[in-house]
Amino acid sequence: MAAISPDILSALQACVGTERVFTDAVSFEHYGRDWTRVHTPAPLAVVLPGSAGEVQALVRLALAHKLALVPSGGRTGLSAGAVAHNGEVVVALDRLDDITDFNPVDRTVRCGAGVITAQLQAFAADQGFFYPVDFASSGSSQIGGNISTNAGGIKVIRHGMTRDWVAGLKIVTGSGELLDLNRGLVKNNAGYDLRQLVIGAEGTLGIVVEATMRLDRPPKDLAVLVLGTPDMKAVMQVLETYQGAMDLQAFEFFSELALQKVVVHQGLQRPFATPAEFYALLEFEQHSDADMEQAMALFEHCVEQGWVVDGVVSQSVAQAQSLWRLREDISETISRWTPYKNDISTTIARVPEFLAEVEAVVSASYPEFEIVWFGHIGDGNVHLNVLKPDTLPMAEFQQRCGEVSRWVFEIVQRYEGSISAEHGVGLLKKDYLHYSRSELEIQMMRQIKKVFDPQGIMNPGKIFDL
Amino acid sequence: MKVLVAVKRVVDYNVKVRAKGDGTDVDLNNVKMAINPFCEIAVEEAVRLKEAGVATEVIAVSVGAKPCQEQIRTALALGADRGIHVEAEGRLEPLVIAKLLKGVVDKEEPQLVILGKQSIDGDNNQTGQMLGALANMPQGTFASEIKVEGDKLNVIREVDGGLQTLSLSLPAIVTTDLRLNEPRYASLPNIMKAKKKQLDVYTPEDLGVSVTSHVSQLKVEPPAERKAGIKVEDVAQLVDKLKNEAKVIS
Ligand SMILES: Cc1cc2nc3c(=O)[nH]c(=O)nc-3n(C[C@H](O)[C@H](O)[C@H](O)COP(=O)(O)OP(=O)(O)OC[C@H]3O[C@@H](n4cnc5c(N)ncnc54)[C@H](O)[C@@H]3O)c2cc1C
Ligand SMILES: Cc1cc2nc3c(=O)[nH]c(=O)nc-3n(C[C@H](O)[C@H](O)[C@H](O)COP(=O)(O)OP(=O)(O)OC[C@H]3O[C@@H](n4cnc5c(N)ncnc54)[C@H](O)[C@@H]3O)c2cc1C
Repeated sequence: MAAISPDILSALQACVGTERVFTDAVSFEHYGRDWTRVHTPAPLAVVLPGSAGEVQALVRLALAHKLALVPSGGRTGLSAGAVAHNGEVVVALDRLDDITDFNPVDRTVRCGAGVITAQLQAFAADQGFFYPVDFASSGSSQIGGNISTNAGGIKVIRHGMTRDWVAGLKIVTGSGELLDLNRGLVKNNAGYDLRQLVIGAEGTLGIVVEATMRLDRPPKDLAVLVLGTPDMKAVMQVLETYQGAMDLQAFEFFSELALQKVVVHQGLQRPFATPAEFYALLEFEQHSDADMEQAMALFEHCVEQGWVVDGVVSQSVAQAQSLWRLREDISETISRWTPYKNDISTTIARVPEFLAEVEAVVSASYPEFEIVWFGHIGDGNVHLNVLKPDTLPMAEFQQRCGEVSRWVFEIVQRYEGSISAEHGVGLLKKDYLHYSRSELEIQMMRQIKKVFDPQGIMNPGKIFDL
Repeated sequence: MKVLVAVKRVVDYNVKVRAKGDGTDVDLNNVKMAINPFCEIAVEEAVRLKEAGVATEVIAVSVGAKPCQEQIRTALALGADRGIHVEAEGRLEPLVIAKLLKGVVDKEEPQLVILGKQSIDGDNNQTGQMLGALANMPQGTFASEIKVEGDKLNVIREVDGGLQTLSLSLPAIVTTDLRLNEPRYASLPNIMKAKKKQLDVYTPEDLGVSVTSHVSQLKVEPPAERKAGIKVEDVAQLVDKLKNEAKVIS
């Protein structure tokens, strides 16, 4: 990798300040990649702008010197979207972390792109409100990153994805312009809604510098159930039963192996001793005692039908949190096995059949690999994780998983599902995009990118090649 | 062996409590309530004694207004065999609760009474000890391990800088510390069974106790708001501020 030229270095320093430009190996490791460990970070430099104006100056500089830019948020992404492995300049938004203009009437608040998701959640709670997008990495991920991946998480069945909470955003495009899109309006049918294109664009259209986020009322007295089920089909029957009668906040599932891993490695307590193949975690509000009575009645029904073998319910907030950890700690727990991750989805009704097919392929292909299943299931999304045996070299493991991925994605294609339900495409899923998007769709995406980023400097090589 | 466990209904440990606007009390309106965490540990220990074949019956008792039957039901779901609710309104001070519990002890004659070492709302750390005095029973407070051996109860206590092992003659009183055990979750089938378990309700009069108050609460106020932090420019400025403003180093 060629070292940065003195001219460019001083030009970058002129944009953001001398002490906000880094070219050392430690910074490259830190800022040059997300949670994935497939690519070796090799940026030209890392810069930390402190304002939208500085971001614009950086983009103009990049245009003048033909530099590629990689927007970098909390770097918790799972698709190598925020990876700079090709001499790019990493633009880390960490310093744009102001929360301002809280408006209780509009129920909105303005956030810098670098505001940490958990910071927004805490801010909302302090005002007696609630920011509902939540997942295990929300302590590190940023609003700009959440918007750029249209992050989902554990409350999607009730509250939707990040998209549903973006009332407006500001983006610096690939030509250096600052667009102020939608400005917090609920109703705005004056032409195309460009904001929606930016959401989920993984930094390929420009750099999000600010967003106006919506807030909700806080949920009332949440209760968490963890139910054991004999098979995946039963999980779906439980989902149908509960969703038919109650407004669930969350419906997650995980496999026995996933549970075993978190219990051993996080020192958590098993919910109950009765053995089960899969577990469903449900969360719901208790407006009155009737809600819990309803949940109990449905439980009895599920037990009678043979869909549920045992179950527990939280008796306190602390227990609700401990039960959630059984699900939320899975990703982190299994990261020591550098798992091969698939984040796939189909429509909810087709999940059982879809899963059975995927499972058949996977278990036939990896008889000796450990497979950990978990996911948001209530929205049709499952995470399939293949753990790398300690003795197998990484390259060989990647190659074998890559082969089987194709078979999995062929099933996804037949079910008209998605090869990336919520993690985005980045570098990791780029080769498989055609399994869920038609050639025409991908071609139109390229054309849209050209409109925002005519020179192709914004996160090039991510999602698709030009 | 019959075991009596006390369970108290308190504000959920994870809820941020707020003082009422007039400062007379904590605002409990619409606040989530739960079993006092130390009482939960007490229930767990009693149920484990039953599962180990040491205890023959576990009775959960709670003193307070009607809603504390919810916490008794939770104890029943966790494995207690039956419940006793001593229905009494208002702010009950530890001595009154200890007297009411003494009344229940006289009725039930348990060999072992397990209580939490304190409740997280009042932070009194008195009820177990007062009950010990009233019932004339030996007590092992802050227990981190208990074991029944014949007609003795060995209690390991967490004391400053180490552990102390006591041997108590039964019947005895134990108050629980955090490390005694990790309470289980309430299973749904057991919650349903718990609905059918016996729950007797007594009044203070039934137990021959008059509820009188010797202490009145004058004021409740939140802790002083923390001042906002500041950002320092560099290490030198940090050292300077620690030395000259905070005066925590010299
Ligand atoms: C333990 C764990 C659990 C997770 N669970 C979930 C989950 O349940 N649901 C889910 O959806 N995701 C989940 N993720 C994935 C990840 O946390 C989300 O994708 C998150 O939204 C990424 O945010 P980030 O700030 O870390 O983005 P980064 O990883 O820094 O970046 C993600 C993408 O957005 C771009 N980007 C970042 N900031 C900007 C900006 N300001 N402007 C333009 N582009 C930008 C980057 O270039 C990259 O392409 C999980 C990750 C981990 C590690
Ligand atoms: C009394 C009254 C009350 C109304 N109240 C409301 C209201 O409360 N809220 C509101 O939002 N609107 C309201 N409207 C406006 C109107 O009813 C809505 O805009 C409605 O959605 C238009 O539907 P339409 O089928 O009549 O569309 P049309 O008027 O036929 O067409 C509307 C536009 O859509 C295009 N279009 C129509 N069909 C298609 C198609 N299949 N594919 C692509 N383009 C197509 C047309 O070319 C045109 O540009 C009201 C109208 C009236 C007369």
